[in-house]
Amino acid sequence: MSIPLLEICNLKVDIPLPNGMLHPVRRVDLELNRGETLAIVGESGCGKSLTALATMGLLPRSARPTVGRHVFDGMDLGTATDRQWRRLRGNRVSMIFQDPMTALDPCYTIGNQMCEILRQHRRISRRGARARSRDLLRRVGIPSPEDRLKQYPHQLSGGLRQRVVIAMALLCEPDLIIADEPTTALDVTIQAQILRLLKDLQEEMGVGLIIITHDLGVVAGIADRIMVMYGGEVVERGDCDQILSAPLHPYTEGLLQSLPRPGETRPGDDLGYIPGIVPRQTGLLDGCGFAGRCPYVMPVCTEAAVPMRDVAMSGDAPHEMRCVLEADATKRDPEKWKRLAEETE
Amino acid sequence: MTKVVLEMEGVTRDYAVGGVFSRRRNLQALRGVDLKVAKGETLGLVGESGCGKSTLSRMLLGIEEPSSGTVRIDGRPLGSFGRLDRARLIQSVYQDPYSSLNPRMTVSATIAAPLTVRGSGSAKDRRAKVREIAASVGLPEYLIDAYPGQLSGGQRQRVAIARALIAEPEVLICDEPTSALDVSVQSQILNLLNRLKREWGITMILISHDLSVIHHLADRMAVMYLGQIVEQGNASEVFERPRHPYTQALLRAVLPAKAGHGVPELGLAAEFPNPVDPPSGCAFHPRCPRADGGSCSSVAPAASGTGTHWYRCHHPLTEPTEIGT
Repeated sequence: MSIPLLEICNLKVDIPLPNGMLHPVRRVDLELNRGETLAIVGESGCGKSLTALATMGLLPRSARPTVGRHVFDGMDLGTATDRQWRRLRGNRVSMIFQDPMTALDPCYTIGNQMCEILRQHRRISRRGARARSRDLLRRVGIPSPEDRLKQYPHQLSGGLRQRVVIAMALLCEPDLIIADEPTTALDVTIQAQILRLLKDLQEEMGVGLIIITHDLGVVAGIADRIMVMYGGEVVERGDCDQILSAPLHPYTEGLLQSLPRPGETRPGDDLGYIPGIVPRQTGLLDGCGFAGRCPYVMPVCTEAAVPMRDVAMSGDAPHEMRCVLEADATKRDPEKWKRLAEETE
Repeated sequence: MTKVVLEMEGVTRDYAVGGVFSRRRNLQALRGVDLKVAKGETLGLVGESGCGKSTLSRMLLGIEEPSSGTVRIDGRPLGSFGRLDRARLIQSVYQDPYSSLNPRMTVSATIAAPLTVRGSGSAKDRRAKVREIAASVGLPEYLIDAYPGQLSGGQRQRVAIARALIAEPEVLICDEPTSALDVSVQSQILNLLNRLKREWGITMILISHDLSVIHHLADRMAVMYLGQIVEQGNASEVFERPRHPYTQALLRAVLPAKAGHGVPELGLAAEFPNPVDPPSGCAFHPRCPRADGGSCSSVAPAASGTGTHWYRCHHPLTEPTEIGT
């Protein structure tokens, strides 16, 4: 067993508000190996983006993170200074944001922005930096890269801009890339191309990739492992294929049921859904955060915090969930979803 | 044949772009669109950003005028209706319920607005009607006097749907009705639209980039590329047997949430062209895997496959394509 590239234990983020403390991320553990793709999945407000920002040391100033252990490639980042972070970000750890228009500076040419990163982190001549930038633009499939270096972000289409952002993330040959909804702002045809590109580059360079998304189709396309988050906590974690074909946590089950699945659901069928809304994370909840929307809820669910437990069958890939139910979805009564929906309406 | 509610014939729309620092140029957002929507039917409209689908919906709402061609509702040209009449005939549900509702109007005032502006019925009648429609879109009674800020995304979208339906429009336009919502809420709105379609027989134009949504709701679908409809037909037929290579690429680009699927290879070359400077001939040919140098340099005529299914391509596909493969 090799040492993981990134290891985070017991991450917690608190944000003080005028009327109390918000706890958007709680008890999050995360582990990533080299060359592996981890998808963090969840709906808005589940804490997935804050988890990623905490990994990069980019949390907003108002946030107060605490972490049990935060180790990146043998370096302890729990106590890293701003200076240490700056040396790391853009160099060994880089990030791809959702909206390429806001990730790029509209006042500088693509070439300027790319060379700046290289000159910051490497001892490299202007000419060398420019040549390397050009190579990377070519590598991410941008036609006539020499011309693009002289252009400003507004002169490029959305798909090209996102390719530029990916090329920038790769400039210093990072060990870890975090991509926050990298294709949400793009058209479906471009989405497929960008995902393919990310996957190819990752296989070729062996970087660790964390992709944050709410789109389970994207997850199925490129992830090795999934971490499903709900209400600031990890509720299920394990092998991608295994979770998609046999989800165990009721929340994951509900999410997958609510998608129209051509070939499986017929046009016009009623789709399943998760009744209720995501609760706000003010005040620490006793018990399971999903209890209020769960069709299988039991008295024990609201009494005490539910620990993460191992539910992998012997010989299978690791699989954990934060739920007291038996780890066999076939023994559950699917009618319970409908009954809960009727009750809430 | 059921009654045709909406008919577009040879509709074009030109915009002049640039002009301050650069040469003024002509952008043709719609290049001869023919479309018919029958009563009670749901037409799915798909295409990438920049293909003209928003221009088309804005034109139906009367925000834009066609540069040439005609749009008819119930056989009458759209231009011959007054503003208020047109608003009664066609209503729209927008993508983002966080910006499409006035934060200072209560839910009941918002829903009643289409009636209030026309002064139809007494205040009491309107109030009764609001309650009735709120119940049928699944808005709980206690939210009637709430403000949008107190509502969740799904509830806001229900308000928007109720507002659009209260005047009983002939055509409902849903422009990406679920893409701003969370996954677990999206399906609730899809179910609601489905039920309204079934029970009320509403006529709907559903614009979405998500083909699984179109597959789920639409009876017929039209695929747009650079201001033209390149394929049109019964949704099930187009999904099973797309004839245009662009439709096939769109179907392949769907990523199903299934294990071991991977990311598809679309075989699409180059980027979406600049609409100011569209390729000559078939607009899709620079990206098309089946293009040849000869015939593709002319615009393909509309060819019909079977009955209602037609496409514009010199080299149509013959093999069935499964969605997401």
